[in-house]
Amino acid sequence: MSDETQEIIGDYRYGFHDPENSTIRFDKGLSEQVVRDISELKDEPQWMTDLRVKAFRHFAERVMPEWGNCDMLNTIDFENITYFLRSSNQTEKSWDEVPDDIKNTFDRLGIPEAEQKWLGGVTAQYESEAVYHSIREDLEEQGVIFLDMDSGLKQYPELVKKYFGTVIPHSDNKFSALNTAVWSGGSFLYIPKGVSVEMPVQAYFRINAKNMGQFERTLIIADEGSTVHYVEGCTAPSYSTDSLHSAVVELIAMEGAKIRYSTVQNWSSNVYNLVTKRAVAHKNATVEWVDGNIGSKLTMKYPSVLLKGEGAHAEVISVAYAGKGQHQDTGAKVHHLASNTTSNILSKSISKDGGRSSYRGLLQVTPKSTGCRSKVVCDALILDGDSRSDTYPTMEIGNSSSDLEHEASVSKVSSGQLFYLMSRGFTEDEAMGLIVNGFFEPFTRELPMEYAVELNKLLELEMEGSIG
Amino acid sequence: MIYQKMTIPPRSEHLWRYTPWPRIHPSSIDKVPDVDGVIFSLSEQHEMESVAHSTVAHDDIARAFLQSAGGSHNRLVVSEESEPIHIDARASGHIAVGHLHLDVKASGVVLIHLTGEPEWVGIHITGKIHPNTQLSFGFVNELGSNTKFLRCEDWIVERDAELEHATLSIGGFRCKSDLRTTLNGTGSTIRQSVTANAVGSRHDDEHVEIHHLHGHTNSDLVMNSACSGNSHFIATGLLTIAEGANKTDASQVFRNLLLSERARAEAIPELEVLADDVSAAHGAATAPVDQNQMHYLMSRGLSPDESKSLIVSGFLLNAFSNLSNKYLTQEMQTRLTVHLECELKR
Repeated sequence: MSDETQEIIGDYRYGFHDPENSTIRFDKGLSEQVVRDISELKDEPQWMTDLRVKAFRHFAERVMPEWGNCDMLNTIDFENITYFLRSSNQTEKSWDEVPDDIKNTFDRLGIPEAEQKWLGGVTAQYESEAVYHSIREDLEEQGVIFLDMDSGLKQYPELVKKYFGTVIPHSDNKFSALNTAVWSGGSFLYIPKGVSVEMPVQAYFRINAKNMGQFERTLIIADEGSTVHYVEGCTAPSYSTDSLHSAVVELIAMEGAKIRYSTVQNWSSNVYNLVTKRAVAHKNATVEWVDGNIGSKLTMKYPSVLLKGEGAHAEVISVAYAGKGQHQDTGAKVHHLASNTTSNILSKSISKDGGRSSYRGLLQVTPKSTGCRSKVVCDALILDGDSRSDTYPTMEIGNSSSDLEHEASVSKVSSGQLFYLMSRGFTEDEAMGLIVNGFFEPFTRELPMEYAVELNKLLELEMEGSIG
Repeated sequence: MIYQKMTIPPRSEHLWRYTPWPRIHPSSIDKVPDVDGVIFSLSEQHEMESVAHSTVAHDDIARAFLQSAGGSHNRLVVSEESEPIHIDARASGHIAVGHLHLDVKASGVVLIHLTGEPEWVGIHITGKIHPNTQLSFGFVNELGSNTKFLRCEDWIVERDAELEHATLSIGGFRCKSDLRTTLNGTGSTIRQSVTANAVGSRHDDEHVEIHHLHGHTNSDLVMNSACSGNSHFIATGLLTIAEGANKTDASQVFRNLLLSERARAEAIPELEVLADDVSAAHGAATAPVDQNQMHYLMSRGLSPDESKSLIVSGFLLNAFSNLSNKYLTQEMQTRLTVHLECELKR
């Protein structure tokens, strides 16, 4: 590993990479032909090819966002990215059939072990496409469809056509246009009426190649009265050049359904993570985004919920850790489009070693939505004088019968708390780690146990040497 | 920069999101119209001097426009402690613009009462609070109900100086205020309150920026609005704490009371913190009149309208409670009470 790379990755534990053994690799750069080639390679229906092309044209015409960290955004070189890379010729149902080098990667990440213990289904995506996919038989018998998105499109074209792009149209923003043009992989999950999936289903995304762009597309439809918990994790090796992850995630919660979507994003610090996530909640439905952002160079992610049906509820819990050279620009958006809808947003961030964390949120109540309630809480910790924390909340209230609250605070770690712990024998580092873990506790307690333990370990690792 | 050479700010800039520049400009946006000067008059014992047109270059389009437009230019020096200074600012004609600079070398109270019924009024106030002095400043906007109003203020508060800044916004049909304060020395403080009563189809956009450039600086901002009819109130705040400005204590509280179905309120309290040892907090709340409070008052014999007006009055008056100067607090509260009583009689 070069010194330059070592400097960039620091202690990042998933920074290893395997030799690249791709079966198909497109040249770098993006054109309409590349978009058509991806679609042809996947043998997609004509409507999808047309949509991809339309999205590409929109992407080419649309200017880069003029808000947020424009300096970082404008360094993305779209011509220096590989838009499609196939590592395995098919999606396997058994780990034994997955090519050894890829299987080794996921072994090191602990995915097969986790699957045996506590997951209802797993999709493992390596570069552009899923290499492994499985679902527990009992769930399959109940009619649960859990596939990678490419297989979903092949096997359930009508269902995909009905919902694809309905929550996040290709023209939503520049990066949703890019994703729609070149999407590959991701998850397609359908839960039939009244089915409750007790164990979480998980997708794991790994970028291995240099200058790779990963554009997965996830569509989750929870039919009336169903419940599901979907978990995703992300890592990438560390190179001295940058990669781009630009996903689109659409959730649809029908009447009375409940979807919880948990993410622990731990990309290496050379990945641009520009993700559009949005959910629609119909009558009495609940959507929960539990979103942890630890890695990446620049993350711009604002999970949103459109509360479309009366009595719908949204819950967003997000944490962000911004270390050296990182900017975590995260937040949440909730649109109260129907009466008696409720939402809670809790955002926690830590900035350290010159990192920058920003909360950017929107809370909107339309004039016809009566009796809505919402609470937004943002807390930020700044651990040293080089770091930065910003809060950009927006509340647009068009109805007089709604109750909305927003509160935010920025502070440093209390020296009183540090002193208390150190007087009980902890070192300064340990004490700081404990306080930080406690600060993130409202988030970790919402994660499955294994993820929570993993997150605490990651934070401890990040906190090492944070004093002095 | 010269106004005509400036590009129109996009709506993605949050300062211009809800009241874009073309909506507040008095005519077609590439033009600087002929203007009359706003007349500032003082009580006899104080003097104000007329000064030359300022040549300071502005990056901000509103300030550059006001500079290009000209109008009246005045300077008031507060050099010794004295009785409170009342300035009557009278706008007349079709379009009126006024510039006022306050040089505060001794502690005092300054109150500006703006009236008039032109189609458009623009005011640019700048002020410097010298070290170890205190200024209590009040601004009452009581323009006619058909007037568009643009107001810019730039304050510099030096070491151990203190600015108490109160705004009562009750006039004009479309108002855009951009009030900026720089805490430029250790120990400097600003306590700021903005109270707005948005009635009918009034559009009131109040933007407050407070920049903490040094450590041990304090700011406290309270913005209260009551919105009725189909009015629209926008409160945006930007609080920045510069690198190394440790031991800074900053807070912003935005509260909106929505009194009708068609009234709208936006609250955007922003924070940018680059120092670690600070206490910075903001809060925003938007809600209708509390039914328990209504019930309490009505059970004591008050009519629903009287009860509501009492609650609104208490809510708006409360915004001035963070001010320490009793004279200023009383003056602002009196003006507001008179205004609310007139409203009730209509």
